[in-house]
Amino acid sequence: MKEMTVDPHLVADRALGLERKSRRGRRLKVYLPLALILAGLVFLVIRGLSNSLVYFHTVDEVLSMEGKLGNSSFRLEGVVVPKSVHTNNVGGVDFRVSGADGRQISVIDSANPPELFQPNLPVVLVGNLSHGIFYSNEIMVKHSASYIAAHPSRVASVGGKKI
Amino acid sequence: MTLRRALRISAPITGVLLFANAILGLYITPPDKVQGNLARMLYIHPAVAWVAYLAFGVTTIGSLLYLWKATRSLRWDRIAFVSAEVGVLFTALTLITGSIWGRPAWGVWWTWDARLTSTAILLLLYLGYLALRGLPSSAETRAKRSAIVGIVSFIDVPIVHESVIWWRTLHQGPTVASLGMNSKIHGIMAWTLLLSFIAFTLLFVTLFLWRYRLALQEAERDQILVDMRKLDVTGSSTRSKVEELLSTRPVEG
Repeated sequence: MKEMTVDPHLVADRALGLERKSRRGRRLKVYLPLALILAGLVFLVIRGLSNSLVYFHTVDEVLSMEGKLGNSSFRLEGVVVPKSVHTNNVGGVDFRVSGADGRQISVIDSANPPELFQPNLPVVLVGNLSHGIFYSNEIMVKHSASYIAAHPSRVASVGGKKI
Repeated sequence: MTLRRALRISAPITGVLLFANAILGLYITPPDKVQGNLARMLYIHPAVAWVAYLAFGVTTIGSLLYLWKATRSLRWDRIAFVSAEVGVLFTALTLITGSIWGRPAWGVWWTWDARLTSTAILLLLYLGYLALRGLPSSAETRAKRSAIVGIVSFIDVPIVHESVIWWRTLHQGPTVASLGMNSKIHGIMAWTLLLSFIAFTLLFVTLFLWRYRLALQEAERDQILVDMRKLDVTGSSTRSKVEELLSTRPVEG
């Protein structure tokens, strides 16, 4: 039907006096958000492809390609080795991280570690490797998907049995 | 059942369940061994993300049913649109609650890992869907165009969900989808997590019904004004004429 080619929203807005006065302003209102969203999508896809696909390197990978990394900044993932954590004189902490097969890398960190930073937890560090030492300027804690009660003796498991 | 009646039932149940979820999540459940009280975000964030997936799923179904000639009706387009609007709200809430959780737990508000980036892309895709609907066109053209964008955008939902498995991320792996695998969640924490999913799903239903009713009223108003234009009813009395017509033509629900 011919009358269905009109935009009912526009007709309604026009009748109620809600329509923007200028045609240019109306176009801007419609096309500007679309352009901004499209630009945002392009930015996110490019950023995602360059950052997210290989978000971090493991300790084992870094040790096997040490010579190729140069001075470039990258993310390193490893588990904080117990009893290796000490505060340093650059405002951060020194510690070691271990990989899946037990190989370790020493870390000198210049940033304040997050609240959950502790031994035996995996961390993702941002920084660069120099002479076998990783100089970190950001620590991110990578906690697991498990949720264990802090006082397990007070909590019943799903089956009603004490854990 | 009318929309009004459905809302009268779903709204109070949603309120009660959300209140119960808050009490259980804040006071009854124990703190987590590693995260302490930060783990209480578990009773909000995953359920909010689930609602975003669910909403976009409804948008996709509505879009498919609109495109399929046998079921083509503007009602499906309206369902898809309303659900996308609720989905956008919940995707934004997912990013906000995740950020609030991430700052103390990870140490950063944001990082460019696959889960976070693909969720931000999801938000922009459906914001684009909503923005696209603002382009001047007939109801049919808008519905068809939106349906295609709605369906294509849904491709990102499984990518978001599987991102923590397909790629290395700072975000932890799935808790709910991997209970039989490596993740563990204790007793009342698991039950409260389940309750949060039910409560937030009902919140989606309530918001959807409320917004759908509003969309029907808007469509009705628009149709009246189109009819009036055809009858050449114009001038300063339009607003009162519309109000009069609306009062005599109650919308569904």
